[in-house]
Amino acid sequence: MHRIRCSARYVSFFMTLTMIFMTIPLQTVCAAMVGTETVLTITQTQNARENLIRFLERKDVEAAMTAQGVNWFEAKARVGSLSDAEVMRIAEKMDQLPAGGDGLGILVGTALIVFLVLLFTDIAGYTDVFPFVKHQKQK
Amino acid sequence: MAIRRIPLLLCGGLLLICLTGCAGLKKWEMLQKAGELPARFELKTVPFFPQKAYQCGPASLATALDWSGLPVSPEELTDEVFTPVRKGSLQTALISAARRHGRIAYISTGMDVIFSEVAAGHPVIILQNLGLSWYPVWHYSVVVGYDLPKKFVILRSGSTARKIMPSRVFAKTWARSNYWGILILRPDQLPAMAKKNLFLEAVLGLEKARQFRAAIHGYKTAMTRWPQNLTSLMGIGNCHYALGELKDAESAFRETVRLHPKEGSALNNLAQILFEQGRKQEALEAVKKAVSLGGPLSAVYEKTLEEIQAGAP
Repeated sequence: MHRIRCSARYVSFFMTLTMIFMTIPLQTVCAAMVGTETVLTITQTQNARENLIRFLERKDVEAAMTAQGVNWFEAKARVGSLSDAEVMRIAEKMDQLPAGGDGLGILVGTALIVFLVLLFTDIAGYTDVFPFVKHQKQK
Repeated sequence: MAIRRIPLLLCGGLLLICLTGCAGLKKWEMLQKAGELPARFELKTVPFFPQKAYQCGPASLATALDWSGLPVSPEELTDEVFTPVRKGSLQTALISAARRHGRIAYISTGMDVIFSEVAAGHPVIILQNLGLSWYPVWHYSVVVGYDLPKKFVILRSGSTARKIMPSRVFAKTWARSNYWGILILRPDQLPAMAKKNLFLEAVLGLEKARQFRAAIHGYKTAMTRWPQNLTSLMGIGNCHYALGELKDAESAFRETVRLHPKEGSALNNLAQILFEQGRKQEALEAVKKAVSLGGPLSAVYEKTLEEIQAGAP
């Protein structure tokens, strides 16, 4: 018993030292640097949001939405209230369209359908892309 | 009860196969008409490593790594890639193994995309389910060629050096993995159909695998296609910093500040590097500029300012 306690003391002393050495220099050095991953995430979401707004502001999109009976101002206000993660999800969906591009070269018809389908499925409660839509389940 | 269920299951299965089959074939017809791709193409000199039992992951990766100029045997890769309990290799394991060898692992998906890659000299590792959706037999193979008019692809697969797979079978088996595929590239290569964010994420993966030299190379490659790209510029600086090359890191961040004067993150990192070189006054100037610019990371800049102010002169 005494022997175990004795060796435990050495082991714990050793562990304390290693842990101090492991954490302290890392904290002081790395805390101040902005990592590449952070930069990438921020620029990605900024671009996605800008693209989405630019897409909505196109005259033909506005016209197509009005023709479909969608309130354009409401749609724009909704995009503004989306969180970063939600914007990224919509942007990804629109990016996967066959016509591709950076959200600008997309055919209005297909992109609009994706946009509206996302809105629609959300009403049905299958996805959670648009939190402002009232789910039927919650009623 | 169980007997009654069988025809139902069969029907469901057949319907599923029909649906996916049709979708795949339609795309194939479109590819042939588009005419942007060569009608047939084969990378004949891609090496072949016949696989041992369940070792398709290491064999495929060895094929791709060898082609990228890094001779390795599947046996050497087995420990990094193979998961004995699963009797197979996970996709993430393949990606991280490629990165640990200093190669870019770039996610590539879609029939049209991978054919363009093959035609550009990049074989594609793909994941297929050779079984059924409810009884999966997962298998990695390497696409090295295709023939659009005759409707087949050429694979390095299992113990077959040149497997001819009809397009219909290929489309179906590949669809079950959601068309998962990767390219293994040298850091100085760009995918033929490079998407900016996917490529940057792939290079970032190299940085995270602590392959800083390769990552610097990769970011520079990205900038040949997307000049002045902020992420790449920052990445180069951060990699030099991680290697302890403060002078190179400093010039990288100075370049970033010059090209993106409104970017606080570059100023922040520049300040930290100047501070570590004992140039407190210059560091303070830079970080104060970052704080005044603000942005989503303003809390970080303020912390840097505090630390520099508190530090030795």
